[in-house]
Amino acid sequence: MREAPILVVGAGPAGASAAATIAEAGLPVLLIEQRDQLGGAIHRQPAAGNEEHVWRPARHRRNWAALTARLQASAERIEIRTETIFLGVDSEGRFLFDDRHEACVFARRPRAAIIAVGAIETIRPFPGWELPGVMTAGGAQVLLKETGRPPEGPILLAGGGPLLPALAAQLAKAGNPPVAVLERGRPWNAPAALARLALSWAPMSEAAAYAAALAASRVPYRCGAVVTQAEPDGDGLKVSIRVGETQEPLLVRHLLIHDGIAPNRTGIPLPDPDGAVPILLAGDGREALGADAAILDGRRAAMQVLARLGHAERGAPSDERGLQRARDFQATLARALQAEPIVPPPETLICRCEGRSHADLAALAPDASAREIRLMGRFGLGACQGRFCGPMIAALRGQPLPTASPPRWPLRPVSVAALARLTIDETE
Amino acid sequence: MTSHFFWNGGPVAFRSGETIAAALLRAGITDLGRPSATPGGRVFCGIGACQGCVIAVAGAAPVEACLTPAREGLRLGPLPAIGAEHA
Repeated sequence: MREAPILVVGAGPAGASAAATIAEAGLPVLLIEQRDQLGGAIHRQPAAGNEEHVWRPARHRRNWAALTARLQASAERIEIRTETIFLGVDSEGRFLFDDRHEACVFARRPRAAIIAVGAIETIRPFPGWELPGVMTAGGAQVLLKETGRPPEGPILLAGGGPLLPALAAQLAKAGNPPVAVLERGRPWNAPAALARLALSWAPMSEAAAYAAALAASRVPYRCGAVVTQAEPDGDGLKVSIRVGETQEPLLVRHLLIHDGIAPNRTGIPLPDPDGAVPILLAGDGREALGADAAILDGRRAAMQVLARLGHAERGAPSDERGLQRARDFQATLARALQAEPIVPPPETLICRCEGRSHADLAALAPDASAREIRLMGRFGLGACQGRFCGPMIAALRGQPLPTASPPRWPLRPVSVAALARLTIDETE
Repeated sequence: MTSHFFWNGGPVAFRSGETIAAALLRAGITDLGRPSATPGGRVFCGIGACQGCVIAVAGAAPVEACLTPAREGLRLGPLPAIGAEHA
């Protein structure tokens, strides 16, 4: 009988770090990745055979090279399943996966599980955010990393946070600088926070490289500027922009939006580090602290699992200090870029899956229960399960959109044909 | 050698290893339309979370265009259009 593996879901920096740490301790690992290559969003690799590589900071390249070297060194203990979607845990405690390449669902019983599925981008809605041609900045960035080629035609980046200038710099270096970057925050109004940020060398040197790239390509970085509306216009979009009291239109082909990231927890099993099958979360999927911290957090989760299974390792205090530094940095960054919420007009779509508007949300009783929001309002019921409308509703109502607890599987739609071919590995 | 899949019957070129979404966007196809009251399909989050780019595949289950490597000869279309045929 084979030894049951430690399951790691997600092969970004946290998952790769956790998988390598456990395999190095001599235990078998089952590493699940939804894409055909490892790396996650931050370390997304160029599509196989693609020679056009997008520029990225040396620190990230080094970090990923080190992680892949560790995975290779322990390869005989790591079973990697790519193009495989984690579907959740069934009532029998089996972990279910949709193998998209083989078009079948399979079930495994791991000794422990580390879920490292990263973050979801937050969007502040405006009329037209649902249109084709509007993408998240993170989504556009992973595409750029895969293809090495920027989208054609004028690009506008809007929202808030450090991803916007980072992506703008990469687009500029790849040959299509955006027409502008609109940052809703006004960092110059928070000099104390800016001064603190200046003390963080690695992210600040990265920011300086981005700023230089934007200056070289003459990309305006406008603070206190927001998109208020987008409308179809021929092959592109007519975007309305508000800067202070002035409104102006801008014609673009692509509008890339982003307002920060939050852990991807929809449908994800609840953490249960002391359960019979310990379940831990790691990386941005546990706490959105960024790529460097995710490596530390993956190792921390792995050490916790190893200690729990009697392999006596303990977490390194330096990991905890690193995570705390990342936490302080993110909090300071949030203070520097904070912006008052804007209440979107009634026609603004909130739930894209079911076509439900802000007016539909406002028509619900102010004290509507979780059931009423879902079953009468039809919010959070669609194919995305509230991953995008959930944070919007939380911001508008001042309380989170309730989710099923414990989470129900499948956390992604799965075909009946794939389910009918279910294979259960009962040797474990 | 250029490879192709088909979107709504028309050929779309793709490079080895790239996703369906990357090929569609390079071909200028952003509207993954859906004839219903809800907004049309489109590539949005790029990580399989929003399900906005789920498309129909003739003879197989629907897939997220952003996650799925393009393969030679796939016949793809908006969700109900092809899906209705082999329902």
